[in-house]
Amino acid sequence: MPQLNPEFFISQLFWLTIFFTFLLVFLWKVSLPRIATVIEKRQNKIDENLSSAKELQEEAHEIEKRINDRLNVAKEETNVKIKNTMSFLQEDASSQLNLLDKELEKKISTSEKQILINRDNQMEKINEEIVKITKITVSKLTDINLSDSDIEKEINSRKEALN
Amino acid sequence: MAAKDSPLKQFEISTISNIEVAGYNLSFTNSSFAMLITVLIITLFLTLTVNTRSIIPSRMQLISELMYNFIAQLLSDTVGDNGKKYFPFVFSLFMFVLIGNMIGMIPYQFTFTSHIIVTFGLAAVVFIGVTILGFLNHGIKFFSFFVIPGVPFYMHPLLIPIEVISYLSRPISLSVRLFANMLAGHTLLKVFAGFVVTMPFFTGAFPLAFIVALTGLEILIAFLQAYVFAILTCLYINDAYHLH
Repeated sequence: MPQLNPEFFISQLFWLTIFFTFLLVFLWKVSLPRIATVIEKRQNKIDENLSSAKELQEEAHEIEKRINDRLNVAKEETNVKIKNTMSFLQEDASSQLNLLDKELEKKISTSEKQILINRDNQMEKINEEIVKITKITVSKLTDINLSDSDIEKEINSRKEALN
Repeated sequence: MAAKDSPLKQFEISTISNIEVAGYNLSFTNSSFAMLITVLIITLFLTLTVNTRSIIPSRMQLISELMYNFIAQLLSDTVGDNGKKYFPFVFSLFMFVLIGNMIGMIPYQFTFTSHIIVTFGLAAVVFIGVTILGFLNHGIKFFSFFVIPGVPFYMHPLLIPIEVISYLSRPISLSVRLFANMLAGHTLLKVFAGFVVTMPFFTGAFPLAFIVALTGLEILIAFLQAYVFAILTCLYINDAYHLH
């Protein structure tokens, strides 16, 4: 078995020491720091991007919040304005209705008064006509000339009897 | 079977350049050459692929980063924050064993991890390093590592020697595991390769198909053994920090 032949043991150990030491020192001082730098650089870049993305997200949230706040304020303002306008319009409408009611009442009362006056006048005229007609009719039928006052008395007594 | 056809012939070391210093044979051999190729592949790959240092990595750069993260994760999982200091060592160890094993999967290439002296050398570095680390961290208290807490005192004379032996056999188990896996895999491949040639007519296709499947398995084992070597190193480092 060539492995157990001690002829080359020293030589193998010697070259192993040289090559392995060289490899260890080279990797330690040159290769590994390079790889470590690259990995660190990438990690930093990723962290940087992540943090900036986070900041942007926060900013976006802030803006969204501000927009919502403004929207809410605007909504409230609009609601208040709508309420004010509605109450103003209602008050205006009711006051105008009141005015119109009053005017209408006035007109109704004046009209009623006028109607009463007209009726009385008409009743008087009717009475006069009745007296005239009665006078003419009685004089034509009986040749008796009744005085106006008698006729009126008679009519009034009949009216009262009717009432 | 003739010696030149032996399945163990692939593990023979041949001298490329004869060097002798103070009576010691320090020849540059095919094993040394495989180590040189391994170190060159690792250093060139890890340096050139990360040369651009781009934030969005190329495929090759991604492979380097994946390996880096793989070992970094392994260390932080087993040792925790203390492990960061030993990252270059564990990473070098993992890459050295992994690429050494992988180079061995190329036909006619030498597998230096199939030599017990190489794997033992690596395991000894781990063992000595971890033991020194244990003494540096805990001083004389490090010996309490061999005393299992919660065990009746009369069991200690039995258990302490067992613990000491199991601790001392760590470099042996670590090195023999890697060496034996590589040796067995390559020997098996060679044996079946011999069948391909010696079997009559087209029946040689069956061992050939088996070799193809076995090669896939061997590549998996090549990775797995490197991983096991690295993870055991991590566990030993962890033991040096947390005795029990």
